[in-house]
Amino acid sequence: MARNIFDYVFFTEIMQGLGVTLKHMFKKPVTYKYPFEATPIFERFRGVHYMKTDEQGKPKCVGCYLCERVCPSECIHIETDAGPNGERLIRKYEIELDRCIYCGFCEEACPVDAIHMGRSYDVVRPTRDGYRVNIKFLVKKYKEYIEEGKGE
Amino acid sequence: MLTVKIDGIEVKVEPGTTILEAAEKAGVYIPIMCHHKNLNPFGACRVCLVEVKGSPKLMTACTTPVTDNMEVITNSEKLKRIRKTLIELLLINHPLDCPVCDKGGECLLQDLTYEFGITKVRFDEKPNNSPVDHTNPFIERDIDRCVLCGKCVRICDEIVNVEAISFINRGVETYIGTAFDQPWNCEYCGQCMSVCPVGSLNNRVYLFKNRPWHLEHTESICGYCSCGCTVIIDHENNEVYRIKEDVYKGVNKGLLCAKGRFGYELINSTQRPVTAKVKDGNEFKDVDFDGALNTIYEKLSAVISKYGNDSVAFVISPRLTNEEAFLAQKFAREVVKTNNIYSLETINALPDGTYNDVESSNALIVFNIDVTESNPVLGYSVRVAGRREESNLYVFYPNYTPLKRVATEFYVYKPSELYNEFELFLKALDGENNKYSEAADNFKNDDKPVFVFNPYNPKDVEIAKKVLDKVSNVKLVPAKAKNNSQGIVDMGCFNGMNPGLVETDKGVELREGIEADKIKALIVLGENLAVRSEYFDILNLLNDLELFVVTDPFFSETAELSNVYIPVATFAEKDGSFTNFEGRVQSLHKAVDKGVKTDKDVIVELAKKFGTTLPYETDKIREMIEVENPLYIGVDWNGGIVSYPYKVKIDGDVKFEIKGSGKYELYPAYLRLHSGSYTRRSYDLSKVYGEPIIEINPEDAKELNVKDNDYLTIKIGNDSYKYRVKVDKKILQGAISLPKDFKETAPLFYEGSYLKVDLIKHI
Ligand code: SF4
Ligand code: SF4
Ligand code: SF4
Ligand code: SF4
Ligand code: SF4
Ligand code: FES
Repeated sequence: MARNIFDYVFFTEIMQGLGVTLKHMFKKPVTYKYPFEATPIFERFRGVHYMKTDEQGKPKCVGCYLCERVCPSECIHIETDAGPNGERLIRKYEIELDRCIYCGFCEEACPVDAIHMGRSYDVVRPTRDGYRVNIKFLVKKYKEYIEEGKGE
Repeated sequence: MLTVKIDGIEVKVEPGTTILEAAEKAGVYIPIMCHHKNLNPFGACRVCLVEVKGSPKLMTACTTPVTDNMEVITNSEKLKRIRKTLIELLLINHPLDCPVCDKGGECLLQDLTYEFGITKVRFDEKPNNSPVDHTNPFIERDIDRCVLCGKCVRICDEIVNVEAISFINRGVETYIGTAFDQPWNCEYCGQCMSVCPVGSLNNRVYLFKNRPWHLEHTESICGYCSCGCTVIIDHENNEVYRIKEDVYKGVNKGLLCAKGRFGYELINSTQRPVTAKVKDGNEFKDVDFDGALNTIYEKLSAVISKYGNDSVAFVISPRLTNEEAFLAQKFAREVVKTNNIYSLETINALPDGTYNDVESSNALIVFNIDVTESNPVLGYSVRVAGRREESNLYVFYPNYTPLKRVATEFYVYKPSELYNEFELFLKALDGENNKYSEAADNFKNDDKPVFVFNPYNPKDVEIAKKVLDKVSNVKLVPAKAKNNSQGIVDMGCFNGMNPGLVETDKGVELREGIEADKIKALIVLGENLAVRSEYFDILNLLNDLELFVVTDPFFSETAELSNVYIPVATFAEKDGSFTNFEGRVQSLHKAVDKGVKTDKDVIVELAKKFGTTLPYETDKIREMIEVENPLYIGVDWNGGIVSYPYKVKIDGDVKFEIKGSGKYELYPAYLRLHSGSYTRRSYDLSKVYGEPIIEINPEDAKELNVKDNDYLTIKIGNDSYKYRVKVDKKILQGAISLPKDFKETAPLFYEGSYLKVDLIKHI
């Protein structure tokens, strides 16, 4: 009880609080001036997807629809067909980035290591249509990752 | 009855039952791969191994018959281990390209791999890797994926009886292929593909277009020929992706033909119009459905008030369902009040024999019809019967057909001789002693003789009648052409016939009515008159009609002549029922919606404009049919068989006529891979057979100096027609065959079905 009266009289808690303030006043600030400054991204962050390509620069996706199947928000849309020589063609591969919940299931499901979650998150678009990205976009993203050295 | 204990469950089964069948009865699951319900037990894969108490050795459940008091264990650690190893052995050479393999998701090997939890193969993997074969127009062959279950080889032999493929080589070198690796020369029925448990044989029309887990399945009835096969329509987003079979369903027991299995792309065809068209001057203008109906209503009312009710005529095609056909004639008879209702079908021959009769018969005659081409699934039944050791199959046809392999005797004569020969046969039935005596005796003395014939040729019907007169227990099988050839006649879409084949007042003859200008308004529901040789000469008269309405899924040759055209649904887009050549009524179910109206919509809505309400719901229409059609009282709409008042009806003697004076006898061939005018819209079927081709004997070809793909000119009187040539030794010397019902051959066959013609090489 005595202790409490002491605290009461001398406002020790306030002093403690002010101490924290004081300590932080002399620390380096943690604010990032986005978009002028980049924020650090953690190892396991899942950002906008990219699609790997093979040696010839062709997308690795074989159109198995597994990512589409596993996607909980149903934001992947694929269409395939047979090509003139009986090969598997991907007519359409689209992801709706605004519906994606960035769970990474597609990456997990892909049997050929084609679709991956990247690290970028800066995809603000003025319209919803802008969030529907195709295979070209995803391959471009992959190139960016390789160039910027943060692909894997 | 034997008593067997399977995993402790006791069942009683007939002697001769296999362990697998007994297990099925006991509700015990045994994994299988090479076994198929429709095929003889084979025992190749060993996945179905089971332990039998008291036997040191494991048994294959699919081939081992049970014995009394047998005790079987189907699921033990030991069996699991063995089965797992078996699958692992298969996986050594199996290219694991499931992501690109079309079978992924419905593959037995995949399922078993999953079931046995195989994640790693203990052996050195060395996947096969040979190029994929695309030479077959319908079946993609990636033989690397083959597990050598032999189902394809067996079904092609045991059921289709073409024996196009076989095991080549022995031991580890074995693969499935054709003799000397020739391109596949077969009927393209796709049966082999349908039984392949893995992705070795795949459907090229469906290839890579979708994946099985996306597809919705709708059970329906095939809309092409009169066999009435049950099909499973696999679709997604109103697009038909695949037509499949179900071995447990339908009269076809899981068998389909090339048309039914691969000819479905026409449903999705981008050539199908979706808006109605009305002719304005010489140009067609797109109008909406109601606009088109208004035009019809106005013109039709004008015609009726100006020229009377009998100036209106209806032509109904067998593509309509029973329900639609019923409403159509009701509209004609009760709203327009005309008796001018026609179909190009026949009432001379009505259904009698069923598949069962054919299959169980030991004495069959197939007369002047290439039944494996016109009604392929009926053809399988004939083959099944013909293959039996004790059966006698006699075929009369102007050239060798695939039935040659199973026929006891195949009588090939030129058309002019064929009928004379059959007269001899008929005499032999009467007891005359000639070269047919033995055959005639076999036929006459059998307890279930069957006679398969072409119901559209009056001479053939007359012959059927004579056969019936002499052999009273014979089952006649009129091989009708189209899916609802029988149904529309039953529903009263025939000049002078009310529903239920009840005679009524006759309208004018269609031809006479048009020629004599008695018909002023013609409403054609689905029929393509322009490719029918019988009406070829009056096509230009149709331009003068005051109103000419055509409904068709495609903008057909006939539709081009119309002044109002309404696009309508195909069989996959509507409910209703078809009656097949057995007289079996089967329901179809709507699978997709292509945004077009059905013929039913057209009739019901048009009737509304005239102030009459016709029922729209299938059930309501059926109720009406059951009241108004004596044949369909209490019929089971899902597979019930209608019984008909007579089998064949023909008045007087019919003379066989052959016109012309040329050197070669021309006869109509059955459409190759087609079932009339709209299967020709199928890109895939037309890839194989897209234009009418003259088939000619090699000797004649030599004489005329033509080879495959050259052109020949057919000369009859002053007319000449040019067609491509195929040289085939199955054709008789001095005879040539050409399919009817093509736009290009309609004018030729207008002169007659059988012609004597001259041939000139076309340079
Ligand atoms: S899982 Fe991979 S290979 Fe399959 S469709 Fe998706 S990206 Fe393509
Ligand atoms: S056949 Fe079956 S196991 Fe083989 S690749 Fe195809 S889906 Fe996979
Ligand atoms: S498609 Fe039919 S005929 Fe051809 S090989 Fe296969 S089963 Fe035999
Ligand atoms: S191709 Fe298919 S059906 Fe034929 S043996 Fe091989 S796995 Fe069996
Ligand atoms: S066309 Fe005839 S035989 Fe072929 S699947 Fe259709 S109904 Fe059956
Ligand atoms: S299923 Fe019995 S051995 Fe293949």
